[in-house]
Amino acid sequence: MRLDHNFTVPVPVDEAWKVLLDLPRVAPCMPGATLTGVEGDAFTGTVKVKLGPIGLTYQGKGRFVERDEAAHRVVIEASGRDARAAGTAAATVTATLIAQGEATRVDVLTDLTVTGRPAQFGRGMLADVSGKLINQFAGCLADTITGPAPSAAESPEPADALSSPVEAPQAAAPEVEAVDLLRVAGSTNAAKRYAAYLGGLVVVGALVWLVIRLLRR
Amino acid sequence: MTIAPDRPAAEVGTARRRKEDARLITGRTLWTENVTLPGMLHIAILRSPFAHARITRVDVEPALREPGVVAAFSGRDVADVQGSLPCAWPVTEDIVLPDRPAVAVDEVRFAGEPVAVVVARSRAAAVDALAAVDVDYEPLPVVLDLEAALAEGAPLVHADKGTNKTYTWVFDSAQAGTGGAVEAALADAEVVIRRRYRQQRLVPAFMEPRSVVVDPTGDQVTVWTSTQIPHILRFLLAAVTGTPEHKIRVIAPDVGGGFGGKLAFTPEEMIAFLAAKRVGKPVKYTESRTDSIASAHHGRDMIQDIELAARRDGTVLGLKVNLLANMGAYLGLVGPGVPLLGAFMYNAIYKFPAYRFECSGVFTNTTLTDAYRGAGRPEATYAIERIMDELAVELGLDPIEVRRRNWIGHEEFPFTTVCGLSYDSGDYAAATDRAKELFGYDDLRREQAERRERGDPVQLGIGVSTYTEMCGLAPSRVLGSLRFGAGGWESAAIRMLPTGKVEVVTGTSPHGQGHETAWSQIVADQLGVAFEDIEVLHGDTRSAYKGLDTYGSRSLAVGGIALVNACQKVVEKARPVAAHMLECDVEDLEWSGGQFRVRGVPEGGRSLADCALAVFAAHDLPDGMEPNLDADAVYDPVNFSFPHGTHLCAAEVDTETGRVTLRGYVAVDDVGRVVNPLIVEGQVHGGVVQGISQALFEEAVYDGDGNLLSSTFADYTLPSAADLPDLVTDRTETPAPGHPLGTKGVGEAGTIAATPAVVNAIVDALRPRGVNDIQMPCTPERVWRAAHSQGGAS
Amino acid sequence: MIPAPFEYTLPSTVDEAVRALADAGEDAKVLAGGQSLIPLLRLRLAAPSVLVDLGAVEGLRGIREDGDALVIGATTTHASVLADRLVHRFVPLLAQATATVADRQVRHRGTLGGALAHADPAGDLPATVVALDATLSIAGPDGSRTVAAADFFVDYLTSALGPGEVLVAVRVPKREGWSTHYEKFNRVAQAWATVGVAAAVRRDNGSIAEARVALTNMDVMPVRAAAVEEALTGVPATAEAVAAAAEHAAEGTHPTGDLSASPEYRAHLARVLTRRAVLAAAGI
Repeated sequence: MRLDHNFTVPVPVDEAWKVLLDLPRVAPCMPGATLTGVEGDAFTGTVKVKLGPIGLTYQGKGRFVERDEAAHRVVIEASGRDARAAGTAAATVTATLIAQGEATRVDVLTDLTVTGRPAQFGRGMLADVSGKLINQFAGCLADTITGPAPSAAESPEPADALSSPVEAPQAAAPEVEAVDLLRVAGSTNAAKRYAAYLGGLVVVGALVWLVIRLLRR
Repeated sequence: MTIAPDRPAAEVGTARRRKEDARLITGRTLWTENVTLPGMLHIAILRSPFAHARITRVDVEPALREPGVVAAFSGRDVADVQGSLPCAWPVTEDIVLPDRPAVAVDEVRFAGEPVAVVVARSRAAAVDALAAVDVDYEPLPVVLDLEAALAEGAPLVHADKGTNKTYTWVFDSAQAGTGGAVEAALADAEVVIRRRYRQQRLVPAFMEPRSVVVDPTGDQVTVWTSTQIPHILRFLLAAVTGTPEHKIRVIAPDVGGGFGGKLAFTPEEMIAFLAAKRVGKPVKYTESRTDSIASAHHGRDMIQDIELAARRDGTVLGLKVNLLANMGAYLGLVGPGVPLLGAFMYNAIYKFPAYRFECSGVFTNTTLTDAYRGAGRPEATYAIERIMDELAVELGLDPIEVRRRNWIGHEEFPFTTVCGLSYDSGDYAAATDRAKELFGYDDLRREQAERRERGDPVQLGIGVSTYTEMCGLAPSRVLGSLRFGAGGWESAAIRMLPTGKVEVVTGTSPHGQGHETAWSQIVADQLGVAFEDIEVLHGDTRSAYKGLDTYGSRSLAVGGIALVNACQKVVEKARPVAAHMLECDVEDLEWSGGQFRVRGVPEGGRSLADCALAVFAAHDLPDGMEPNLDADAVYDPVNFSFPHGTHLCAAEVDTETGRVTLRGYVAVDDVGRVVNPLIVEGQVHGGVVQGISQALFEEAVYDGDGNLLSSTFADYTLPSAADLPDLVTDRTETPAPGHPLGTKGVGEAGTIAATPAVVNAIVDALRPRGVNDIQMPCTPERVWRAAHSQGGAS
Repeated sequence: MIPAPFEYTLPSTVDEAVRALADAGEDAKVLAGGQSLIPLLRLRLAAPSVLVDLGAVEGLRGIREDGDALVIGATTTHASVLADRLVHRFVPLLAQATATVADRQVRHRGTLGGALAHADPAGDLPATVVALDATLSIAGPDGSRTVAAADFFVDYLTSALGPGEVLVAVRVPKREGWSTHYEKFNRVAQAWATVGVAAAVRRDNGSIAEARVALTNMDVMPVRAAAVEEALTGVPATAEAVAAAAEHAAEGTHPTGDLSASPEYRAHLARVLTRRAVLAAAGI
C-alpha cells in the first residue's frame, strides 16, 4: 500500500532540513508515541493507540536508510509489532523537501504494510481513528507554536476535515490541515518548531503512519 | 440380492427422529474439546501475520520463562521430524507438489500459517505466552490474484519450483473417444455463448471449531480429533511420522459438522502429535473461530471461462471449459482433485456431443483450498446452469424449454455421457414438472411480466436449476485412474450380543448426518430387531477398524450396502443355528418378520436373539459349527450414483437498494430410495441454505497485502432463518438399478442446485435492464450497481 | 481466543463503581452486557487491566415514567426494553430500533446503556436516542451530570464519558403527537446496520410541522440529517415532498467503506432509507 502526502511549511528548506532528523525534540507531540532510544541512524520507540475500548501498543524500531542532503531527501524504514494482538506494521517513508522561496514543500511517500488482527476488521471497527490521531497531533503542535489558548487549536475545523471518508489510500487532508493550522497561528519565532513538526512527522511518523493506515481500512 | 426381507420394511422409510440428537443438541457428549486427561497440557500456536515472508529468526526462549509454560518450539526445532503434510490426489504425473510443513521453517506463505508452538499447563497460559515468542520476518512480495499469479515475472509462492502453476489437467471427449471435438462444434455453431464466472472463496464454517487431543502415554498413541476421516488419518499419521500403524489409535468422537472442512490431515493434528511426543504427556489444541476462519482450508475460488456452442433451435453442440483453480499456498489432502470432481459434471443432465475441460491449479499466498460441500460439482453446476439461461435468452426461449431440448430423456437411461460416465437412472421431466407445479411457475411468470410492465421498483425474477451430481464416491478403479491415493469402498460389521442386542460397526464417520439413526433403521429391518436395540459404533479405529470415512455423499450409497451385506451374512450364519434349534433341515426354514420358522408352521419360530443366545452358550450346536453370528462386509461400488432434481427460486429485487428477498424456493430432488425422510429433508434444507448463502452472502476477502479481512462472523456473512424463505421440498423416486439399496446420496444435492437457482433468479429480475451477470455473492451493492449500469455485468 | 488477564470487580452501588474506576485508573473499563466488549477482549484488541462489572449495581435496571419522559436504567437489557409497555406506548421508535439489534441472545444480554456507551456508529440505538432527543445521566467522581444525546457521541467508539464516569440512566421524552419509524438496512438479520435511519415527524393537518431524522453508520458517530429536517419543515405531507427532502440525507456525512458497502453506496442508501423512514413515520 502506497500513501502520498504533501504539505507546505513557511520556513526555508535548509532550516527545515536541520531539524528534520532531531528525534527527541519532536517525538512528544505524537499522541501515544514514546521514543525509547536513538543510536546513530537507528531508533526505537512505541506508539500506543487508544480508541474507545481498543488499545494497541506497537513496539518498533527504525533506521535512516538514506540522508541525501543535496536532494533534501531522507528514507526511513520502520516496523513495529503489537504482540498481544498479533499484528505488525511496517513502513518505508521517503520524505523530500522542496524549496519554495521562504517556504518548503514536503512530499512524503509511504509504503506501508499492516498485518494481523488489527488489519482484519472489515466492518470498519477501526476506521477513521487516523483523523483522531492527527487531530491530537495537530492540536499539540498548535499549542506548542502559538503558546497558551490559541484560537486555532480550539477550532473544530480540522476535526471535520480530518474525519473525511477515506476510501482511497491517498490521504493528503490530515497534513494539509495540520499545516493550515500552523499558518493560522502565524507565529514569528516558529522556525524551529515548524522544523520540529517535520521531524516528528517523518520520523515518529514512520511508526505512526502504519498505525494510521491500519486504523483507516 | 434381495434387499428388503420378506416383510414390510417397517423402519426404512419412516421419518424417525434422530437418536443422536438429544446429546448433540445439548452438547452433553464427547466433543474432542470435552476430552480431559490427567496431566493434560495445552497448546497455543503462533501464526504468521504475513502472507509471505522469510523467517529470519524465531526465539522461543522468552516464552519458556512465562508462567505455566512447559515447552515451546519453532518449525526449525521440528524440521527433521515433522515431514510434509501429504497430498493424496496428485492429479497429474508432473504435478508441482511442494513440501507442506506443519510448522513453517524458513518461509511463511499465507497469513495464519503456524510459526511456533507453546505448550503450557493451561490454555490461557499457552495463549498468553505467545506474545513472548520473538519472530523476525523479512516480508516477501505476495501474489493473490489467480491470473496475476500466472503472469510472467509474478512473485513465486514457492520460489524453488519456478512456477505458480501446479498442474494442468485436461479432458477432451474427442481424445477420450466419448464424444466429438469441441473446436469443430464451436466453428459449426449458429450460436456461441462465452461467459466468465467466478466462484468466490468460501469458508466451510462448521459449527464446532477443530480440536485435537493426543495422548502418547499408552501403548498406542491415541488421537481424538474433530475430523471426518479417522481411518484415513490413522494411515497418514503412520506414513508421515513413521509411528507403526498398529501403535496409533484415532478417535473421531462426536464431530460438529465438517462440510468437507474436516476432510483433512491438518497442521494442528501434526503439531499436537509432535508436541505430545516431545513432552510425553497428553496435549490438547482447540482453535478459536478466528484462527479457524483464517487457517482451516477454504473452498471454491475458481475462474471459469465457458464457451457453449448451439444451434438456433436450442440444441447444444459442444461445451468448452477453461478453469483456473486457486489452490492457495499449498496442496491440501484432496485439493488438486476438487476441480476434477466437477470436470465430469459440466455436461450435467444434457446430451452434449462434444466437450473439453482444462483446469490449471494455481498457487497464491492465501489459505489453501480443498473440499467444501459438493467439491467441484457445485462449481460445474453453477457454470452450466447459468450459461443455459444465457442460451435461453439468446434464443428467446423459456429457460426450462431450452433445458428440456437438451436433457436426457427418461427412456434413454442408462445413458453414457460425453464424459464417459454411465448415468443409471433419472427422470428430469418428472422432477421439473413437479417443481413447476409446486412453484406456481406460470403464475409467477405472469406476475413478473406485470411488474415489468408497470415499472415496479421491486422486480421479480425466476431462477431455474436442473442438476445432477455424481455421488457415492466411489468405484476404487475409477479413483485409481484419476490418481487418487485411496480406494472408494466402505465396510460394515454386525456384532450380535448374547441378549439379542446388536452393535453395528461402520467405517463411515458421521459428523451430523444421522448415521446412527439411519443405520439402525436399515439393520432393524434386515435383522428383525428393534430400532432401540441397535447401537452404531463409528469413528474409533479400535472398534471400527476399517473404513474410508464420510465425504462426497458416500456414506449411505456405499456404506449402506456394506451394511446390508453384513446383515445378510449374519442371517445366513444364524440359519443353521435356528434349524438346529427347531430340529429341521435348513432347507425347510423360512426367514421372515425377524423369525426363522419351519415352512408352513406359523408358531414356534426362532429370532436372531434366540440364535445369538444359543451361540453365546454354545452348549448345543451342531458338530463343527463356529459359535459366532458376527459378520462383516466391504462394498466397492461398481458405479457412482446420480441423484438429480429441479430447483426453482423466486427472487424479489429492490432496484432502489439492491436488496434481494427470496420469496419462494421449491426443491424437488430425486435421491433414490429414502431411508429416513426427516433426515433427507434436513439435508436438503441445510444444503439449499448453504447454496443460497454462496449466492447471496458468503465470501472470504483478502486485502492487497494478503490479510484475510473477513476474519470473524461479523464480516464473513452467514445467514440465519430470518434471512431465508420457507423451503418447499418434494421428491421423485426413480429406481437406481446400479445400486442394490436404491439410495443415491443427498448430502450435497441442495448446495449444488441452489446457487445457480438464486443467481439465475436475480439476473432474470434485472434482465430488462441489460444485466446478464452479477458476481457472487450478490450483495445489495453489487445488485444495485448492476441494476443501474448499462450493460449489466458488475 | 482467551482474553488477556484482567482484574475483575463487582460493585453493588453506583458510588462503588465510580470509586472502583477511580482506583483502577485510566486502564479500567466498564462491563455491562458485554456484547461488544467481550469480543474485543477475546480478540485481544482490548486489554484493560481492570473490569468494573455493573451487573450487580442496584437501581441501574428498569424503566419508569417520570412526568413527560421515560427514564430507563443503563443496564436495562434490550429484551426488557422490548417487553416494556411504557416504551411501546410512549417511545415506540426505541422499541422498533431495539427489535433490530443483533439477535435474541444478544438482546437478552446487551443493555441500552452499554450500547450507547460503546458509541458504535453502526449500532442502532445511538441514532435512535439522538432522534428522540434523549438526555443521558452520568455519575462520576465529581458528582452527577446530564448530557444531551446529541453531545454524548463525540467520535468513533468514543462518548463524552470521562474515564471515571458511569452512564446511569437514559431519559427519553414522550413526544406525544409525534410519529416515528426506524428503517434499518443490513445484509443479514443479526448484522449491524449498513445504514439506518431513525425518523420522527410531527404532522400538522396536511403538512409536516417538524421532523427529526438521525442516521446510523453514516459517520464516525450518529448524525442528524439536518438538511432533511429543514427541508421537511412546513412542507405538505406528500410523497413527492418527502422524496425531495430525503435527497439531502447524505449531506455533510462521512460514511466509511467496508466489506458491506462503499461510502458512495451508503450515501445512496441514506437517501432511499430516509425517504422510506419519513414516509412510514408520517403515515404517507
